[in-house]
Amino acid sequence: MSDDPLHSPRAINGRAPDVFRPGRWVSMKQYAEHEAVDFVIVGTGAGGATLACKLAEYGFTVVALDAGPYFRPLEDFASDESEQTKLYWTDDRIVDGDNPLQLGSNNSGKAVGGSTVHFAMVSLRFRPEWFKARTKLGYGADWPIDWREMWAYYTEVEQALKVSGPVNYPWGPPRPRYPYRAHPLNAAARALARGCEALGIGWTETPLATLSAPRGLAHPCVYRGFCVTGCSTNAKQSALVTWIPRALSAGAEIRDLAMVGRIETDANGLAVGVHYNRQNQWRFQKARNVVVAGYAIETPRLLLNSATDKFPDGLANRSGLVGKNLMAQANQAVWGEMDEEVRSYKGPPSLAITEHWNYEDEGKDFFGGYAYMSQGPLPQLWANTQATAHGLWGTRLVEAMKRYNHVVGLKIVGEMLPQESNRVTLADEVDQYGLRIPRVTYSWCDNDKRLIDHSVAFMSRALGAIGAKDLWVQEDDTCHLNGTARMGDRPDNSVVNADCRSWDIPNLWICDGSVFPTVGGANPSLTIQAIACRTADRIRGLSRVGEIRLN
Amino acid sequence: MLSAMRSNQARKDKARGSFQALPVEAMRARPLRLSVPRSLSRSAQREAETVSAARRLNRAAGMLAASVLADSALEHYRGSFKNKAMFTPLVVAGLTLAMSLHGTADRRPVAHRARDASYLSAAVTGLIGTGFHIYNVTKKVGGLSWQNVFYGAPLGAPMAILLSGMLGFCSERVRANGRRRSRRIFKLPAAETVATVSALGLLGTSGEAGLLHFRGAFHNPFMAVPVTLPPIGAGLLAGAVLNGGRRMRGLARWWMRLLALMGFAGVGFHAYGVSRNMGGWRNWSQNILNGPPLPAPPSFAGLAMAGLAALELIREARDA
Repeated sequence: MSDDPLHSPRAINGRAPDVFRPGRWVSMKQYAEHEAVDFVIVGTGAGGATLACKLAEYGFTVVALDAGPYFRPLEDFASDESEQTKLYWTDDRIVDGDNPLQLGSNNSGKAVGGSTVHFAMVSLRFRPEWFKARTKLGYGADWPIDWREMWAYYTEVEQALKVSGPVNYPWGPPRPRYPYRAHPLNAAARALARGCEALGIGWTETPLATLSAPRGLAHPCVYRGFCVTGCSTNAKQSALVTWIPRALSAGAEIRDLAMVGRIETDANGLAVGVHYNRQNQWRFQKARNVVVAGYAIETPRLLLNSATDKFPDGLANRSGLVGKNLMAQANQAVWGEMDEEVRSYKGPPSLAITEHWNYEDEGKDFFGGYAYMSQGPLPQLWANTQATAHGLWGTRLVEAMKRYNHVVGLKIVGEMLPQESNRVTLADEVDQYGLRIPRVTYSWCDNDKRLIDHSVAFMSRALGAIGAKDLWVQEDDTCHLNGTARMGDRPDNSVVNADCRSWDIPNLWICDGSVFPTVGGANPSLTIQAIACRTADRIRGLSRVGEIRLN
Repeated sequence: MLSAMRSNQARKDKARGSFQALPVEAMRARPLRLSVPRSLSRSAQREAETVSAARRLNRAAGMLAASVLADSALEHYRGSFKNKAMFTPLVVAGLTLAMSLHGTADRRPVAHRARDASYLSAAVTGLIGTGFHIYNVTKKVGGLSWQNVFYGAPLGAPMAILLSGMLGFCSERVRANGRRRSRRIFKLPAAETVATVSALGLLGTSGEAGLLHFRGAFHNPFMAVPVTLPPIGAGLLAGAVLNGGRRMRGLARWWMRLLALMGFAGVGFHAYGVSRNMGGWRNWSQNILNGPPLPAPPSFAGLAMAGLAALELIREARDA
């Protein structure tokens, strides 16, 4: 049988790939499709994998399905940007709006482990006030969760991923010591630091989910620099090498290349299982509870595609909010060149960070905040950026590429505000599975634009202060996707409650970035995993008092 | 009769001379003392003991120098010898090692000018090297920060060659005491001085290991060993100086042997650490540079050997 993970499932016959040992396998429990499992989880990224692991460890029966392949990082990942586009979700989608999103790389993943397989590993806690953004800061919406509770779950995830971070974090309330020490800074990170010092703001080493010391069978980072195209050494603590192996050993089943097309509901309006396509066959897995963890496009798409006569607008959508309030994050950059060599592609791309403008509200003409980080674009991405965002071509492009080793850049992760008009709906076209494809509509609001202007002006000053030349601004870029099934404290203003449980269908849960009411100016993966850990604890608690359907 | 016995003794010593540079021998300080025939006159015996004590210190200095030679070669090679001054510790440590071997083989009760010069230059190199390393750390953005003390030039490393030089220099001073009854290093009592230098060296080296093992997040529980055992050893040495009872000294002696063993076992642990990097030992050319430094732990053995020499000096000073 072929061992092409893109075409033949690997997690079959009672075993799954051992991601730490080439060619080896680990045993995997398997569940019959006709027998209802406690939880079937759709998606195995930051939300789904974390929840699958925790629920399995709590003794629930779990089957987690992922549309993507089950990679072996040590064997399947090449130091080749083109080859590694296999990690992205590049199925057909329609984008529109005033600022159509560019989908497919830094906002999606199609693999067991989801986009954590190629994420930049930036593991930030939210600013506490963001959990009460409406009440305390006057914008967006409040989360139904207290930041102090989240603080404990952040700690759990940081430990689970052995996050490498600074000894002391300069912003926010005290947090426990990061489990591993920060990585050495590369020249690009030192450039950020010098800029911050010149402008009198704080900076620090970025907390990263990549190992700075050995951990079990995973090696410490070798500073190869191909982080965002998939780590081939297992230093990156993706869901694929952390939560998933734990989930398997706790008795969860993972099904790769399994695309869920519809959630089945019964006459009582309860979920009874999922229809999924594997090896060109539509199959059905019975379950007592269904968890959707497909991220901010696939989650609403699945809910909308699962509409029935009883739920004509899609599942969990009595509020009408499924698909609405999609929030990307601003990802603008300022680039320049230094006289000396920088070789910014050495090591993880974002080794240094400033969260100054996440925590400082004085002097802002906008709501929300942003962090900015040092950058290390790989050569193909850089050539693309120069050709498209910078508009260089021909000789000018060749000349610019010759100076690649001197490039220095700063890039934000900026908060964008929730707007109902930014949304995921269903198009009439269908994909290779015959499922209606999502239409993703996105437009920046004035606040988004003001935040971007502020950040670009500030980063330009920072680069100017360290002697960078030929500065130019990359104006149109976004990253991360959140918010299409927001959590809240009332059924009319949210899709799920604080436990990620649907208001409408009590055995339907949503556990991924979709539930974010606001996004903050911080990469969301740590928060998604913290939410998943909290959800698992809540599910265990609710099951003990008989408030969850388990028979 | 006496001369016959001496030459006999010299033959015995010669026969075992090739082993004496080995640290295992250093861990057996007592037999060396017993090899001095009882029938010698008190002052001749004292002289033989003095030379033995000095040779033990030569050996300890040599052990440290060997560690520095290998460690600085590795680390400065990793740093591509970017600054020509980075060759200095290799030359100086190499010379110190050679001089220490020379001193270990030398049975004359007089200080040696070339050895003295070499040991002094080692000590000065240690001081200047520390200055260089401080400069390297503080010039980086962030200054004296965790990032820079983790990944900049290691602040404590040049201290090892300083210690080697100091111990060697002490060795020559001890040796120069000859038949004198109370051994002195300049005006200080030799035993207590060497014990103090050894104890401070153990504390400093333990601090260095602590810093770098903290950088490695103490991911392996054995990484706590070199930050717990040596300070206890330093405390026992201090106890031997202050209290000086036989039991305290006996405990300190065993502890120094334990530390010497730890120093060599550390190489094994670091070899295991190298294997845990990507590619393991198959990728040795990268991982030896990238992993934990193989030559670093034996510096504890060198200091433990100095501690043993100090304990022997204390015993001779107080029990004789």
